[in-house]
Amino acid sequence: MNEQLRAISELDRVIHEPGRLMIVAMLAAVKECDFLYLLHETELNKGNLSGHLARLEEAGYVEIEKTYRGKVPQTLLRLTRAGRAAFDQYRKGLKAAF
Amino acid sequence: MKDELQNYMGRPKRYNNIDGTGEMGMGIFLLSFALLNYLQTALPAKSMWRHGFANMLLFFAGVLLMLGLILWITKAIKKHITWPRTGYVAFRRSGKSSWKAIAFAAVGGAGSVCLFELAARHNAMNLAEAVYLAVLVGAYAIFIYRFSREHPWKWLVVIFMALGLFAMTLIVPSILMESWWFPMLFFGLVWLASGGATLYLYIRHTQPPDPEAE
Repeated sequence: MNEQLRAISELDRVIHEPGRLMIVAMLAAVKECDFLYLLHETELNKGNLSGHLARLEEAGYVEIEKTYRGKVPQTLLRLTRAGRAAFDQYRKGLKAAF
Repeated sequence: MKDELQNYMGRPKRYNNIDGTGEMGMGIFLLSFALLNYLQTALPAKSMWRHGFANMLLFFAGVLLMLGLILWITKAIKKHITWPRTGYVAFRRSGKSSWKAIAFAAVGGAGSVCLFELAARHNAMNLAEAVYLAVLVGAYAIFIYRFSREHPWKWLVVIFMALGLFAMTLIVPSILMESWWFPMLFFGLVWLASGGATLYLYIRHTQPPDPEAE
């Protein structure tokens, strides 16, 4: 297997899915954000966004904190250290593949 | 794909000024400096506030008041308008410099200096004023390029700003050096108006908060 194919096959599949890639890329650029911001920026629907976030949380890439802003519920999201490392690795893999 | 990803990751930075708070903050900053400079010229020559420690105290009190006002206004707009409408973001502080922005600033600055140097040859202004003018206009242009690309009309504001300052120096040749509060007032008002227009457009194009958004 040549290097390029190997790099493609080794890409992290949790991150590689387009919806999750958008989420992780966005979270990698900020310290933390809320669910509404991701909904606005990714243009996914609530169900899809929740599903992708659950998958990322399960993989240990995203930390989800349920809190309140005044009386309004707020879901805060941030990338974990493992998530940031996985995303850096993913970007390196992508660079090697293309 | 790499470039698209990079561009996508730059969106949170641009989001910071989606409501025009960055521009309005800068506008208040410049207006405060204009006011402080005007006070310097308007106060009687023998006033204690024009000399020594009292002068320094007045300056620092003014700067502190201005920073407090900027923080308060920014936080109030974010808390009551932006976060409930399009979401909350806390930004990471990175020490990395953007070479693209530096190159853009260098090219823009050099171009402006060339333009104004041409005017200087006709005795309209000196080189120091030309550089000063280029820095003032260049700062706004860089800000627009980095944080407000989705509003192309702001490039017209850059032109308006450059022409306004240019006209000022042509009408009163030494205005930038001798009574710089006036160009600073103009510059601050343009930043403030630009930020105000951004906020107005943001409110018009976003939905009021939905209590069940999450």
